[in-house]
Amino acid sequence: MSFSVHGQAVSRGVVIGRAVVMASSRMDVAHYFIEPEDIGKELRRMANARDAVVTEIELVQRSLTDLPASDAPAELTALLDVHLMLLQDQTLAKGVSDWIVDRHYNAEWALTAQLEVLGRQFDEMEDPYLRERKADLEQVIERMLVVLGGEGVSVFERVPKATIGRSHDRGDLPPALEKALGPDEAAPLILVARDLSPSDLLQFKQSVFAGFVTDVGGKTSHTAIVARGLDIPAVVGARSASQLVKQDDWVIIDGDAGVVLVDPSSALIEEYVFKQREGTLERERLTRLRHTPAVTLDGEAVQLMANIEQPADTDAAIEAGAVGVGLFRSEFLFMGRTGKGQSQLPDEEEQFLAYKAAVEGMHGMPVTIRTIDIGADKPLDRQARGGADDHLNPALGLRAIRWCLAEPAMFVVQLRAILRAAAFGQIDLLIPMLAHVSEIKQTLQLIDRARAQLDAEGQVYGRVRLGAMIEVPAAAMMTNIFLKYFDFLSIGTNDLIQYTLAIDRVDESVSHLYDPWHPAILGLLSQVIKGATAQGKHVSVCGEMAGDVQFTALLLGLGLRNFSMHPTQIPAVKRQILRSNAAQLSAWSEQVLSSDDPHSVPPP
Amino acid sequence: MIQETITISNKLGLHARASAKLTKLAGGFTCDVWMTRNERRINAKSIMGVMMLAAGMGATVEIETDGVDEREAMDGLLALINDKFGEGE
Repeated sequence: MSFSVHGQAVSRGVVIGRAVVMASSRMDVAHYFIEPEDIGKELRRMANARDAVVTEIELVQRSLTDLPASDAPAELTALLDVHLMLLQDQTLAKGVSDWIVDRHYNAEWALTAQLEVLGRQFDEMEDPYLRERKADLEQVIERMLVVLGGEGVSVFERVPKATIGRSHDRGDLPPALEKALGPDEAAPLILVARDLSPSDLLQFKQSVFAGFVTDVGGKTSHTAIVARGLDIPAVVGARSASQLVKQDDWVIIDGDAGVVLVDPSSALIEEYVFKQREGTLERERLTRLRHTPAVTLDGEAVQLMANIEQPADTDAAIEAGAVGVGLFRSEFLFMGRTGKGQSQLPDEEEQFLAYKAAVEGMHGMPVTIRTIDIGADKPLDRQARGGADDHLNPALGLRAIRWCLAEPAMFVVQLRAILRAAAFGQIDLLIPMLAHVSEIKQTLQLIDRARAQLDAEGQVYGRVRLGAMIEVPAAAMMTNIFLKYFDFLSIGTNDLIQYTLAIDRVDESVSHLYDPWHPAILGLLSQVIKGATAQGKHVSVCGEMAGDVQFTALLLGLGLRNFSMHPTQIPAVKRQILRSNAAQLSAWSEQVLSSDDPHSVPPP
Repeated sequence: MIQETITISNKLGLHARASAKLTKLAGGFTCDVWMTRNERRINAKSIMGVMMLAAGMGATVEIETDGVDEREAMDGLLALINDKFGEGE
C-alpha cells in the first residue's frame, strides 16, 4: 500500500530506488543485571568498546587527510573531533560507570540509561541548534553499543549481502522505473536508518546508496549539512520512517519537498522519473547561462546584480554571473561586535579596507554600498542590549539614516571610508530610509563635509554616484523631488511593503497580510520606475521581489531593467528574462495595474 | 581564585565545535576551571559539561579559575569567547 512520510527538506533532488532499512541498534540492546563481582569486568568491557570506537574514528580522520578537500567537508573533521572528545570525556564516563557500579547494570544498559538522562536535558534546551547536538551524543553511544554487540565497523558493512545482490535482480522492477534505467543498470538503493554517524556519511559517496532517509535530525543537524555539501538527495527528521518502511520497499525521495513516498503507484513513479530528469537538465542549463547576457527576446538588456553582506561574497557574485553589486549591506560590518576585546564600531581604516576589498573583488564592475541600515530585523548589539532603545516596533524608530544623522561623527567615518575606497573602482553610494527633504539635505552636507576633510588632509578619494533607497511610501510618492538630488534610486520592496501595508514583518499574526501583489504596492513601484526612467536615471529593485521568479515578468513589464538579488537567484531570474518579451509584458502590466485583483490577471 | 562574568556573543553559542575549543583550551591549564550558568556549575575541562550549559548567543556565564596559572587560563578563555571562537560571527 502506498503512503508518504514527511520530514525536513534539507538537500535537493529526487531519487527513486529500493529501500535498505537499517534497524536501530538501540532497539535490541540487552538489559540484564551483572553479578557484583563482575563489576570490574563490565567496566573493562566498556573501556574496550570505547577504545575500539576511538580507534575507528581516528582511522576515519586519517583517511580524511588523504581525500581531496572537496570530498571531505570541513564540518566532518570538526565533528569527528567532537565525537572523540565525547568518548574520552570524564563526566560522561563517570555517569555511565555509576550505573554499572551502583546499580549493577550491564554496559549496554548503562549507556542507554545515561543517554536517556542526558538526552532529556538536551531536549529541554531552548536554543534549537544546541538542542540538536543531542544527536552527536547519540551517535557516539550507538557506535559503542554496536561494538559491544560485536557487530561490524560501518553501517555499510552491516547491509545484508542478500539485499545488495537483489538490486541486480530486475525481476520486480516497476515498469516505469525500468524504462528510466539503462539495460544493465541496477535500481538505486536508498538507505533508511534512524540516524547516520559522520563516519557513515563520509563513506556515502563511495557507497552503493543514492540517497538516504533518517528518523532524526533537523535543518542544522550535521546529517543535513553534509547531505547538502555532498549534494545527495535526502530527507531527515522523518520520525518513524525506519520502522514504517520495510526492507526492499520501492521508495521515492523528494528532497525538495522533504517527502518520502513509499510503495508508489506506477503513475507516481513516472511523474518522478520525469521530475528527476528535469532536475538534472535544469542544473546543467542554469550553469550554462552564467556568461550569457540577460537580454529579453525583443532585445532589452537587463542588469542582474548581486546583494552581498561581506567583501568575500563578491566571489559568489562573480561565480553567479552578476554584472555588479547592487546592494552591499554595510551594516554587517557593524554587527556582532559586542566583546570586551573589540571596539564597538569598525574604525575608518577597517571599513575602508572592507569596501576596497569589495570593489577589487568585482574587477571593475560597480559596487553599490548602502550606508548603515540598522533596524528592526537586524539590531546592532549596542541597541539590542535594551534600555532606552527597547522600542516595541523599532522599524518605525531611530534607524538607518535617522540614526546616522543623529550620530554624525560615526556617519562621517563611514562616508570617508567609502569615498576613499572609491579611488579603487566605481562605487555607488546608497542612502537608506530617507523620507524628508531636510534629511536629504543634511546627508548631502555630511558627504560634502567628509570630502572637505579628506581634501584638507590631502587624502586620495574617488567619485561616487549618489542614490537613495525608496522604501518609505512618502519617498515613493515624491520620486521627482528625490530625482533632483540623486543620480539613481533603489527600491527596497521588503520595507516598502511593510510600511505601505502597515504590516510588522516580525509579527506572525499579520504575516498573511504581507502581499507584494497589493494594488497600492504595484502602483508605487510603477510610479518610481517610470519616474526615474523618464529622466534617464537608473532605478533598481533590491528587495526579495527582485530575486523571486514569480515577479520577474511583472517587474520587466513595469519597466525595471536593473535587478539586485542573492547571487544564487541570478541564474533562474536570468532564464526568465531570456524567455520574456518586454513589449508584451509592458502591455500586460497595464492590465495588472488597473485590476482590483492583480494576482488573478493571467500572464501573456 | 579569579571570577569573571562574560556574555557568549557568537551566533551559534556554545555549540559542539565551540565547546570543543573551549574544553581543549581549559584542559591545557593546571588550574581548576569552572563555569556557571543558571545555577548550573560544570567543569570546563569536560565537553559534556560545557555542552550541558546550553549557553546560546547572548547567554551570560560565570568563569572561575583556581590554581597556579589561573590568570593565564582566565585571559585565554575570555579571549576565545570574545573572539567568537574564531568563527567570525
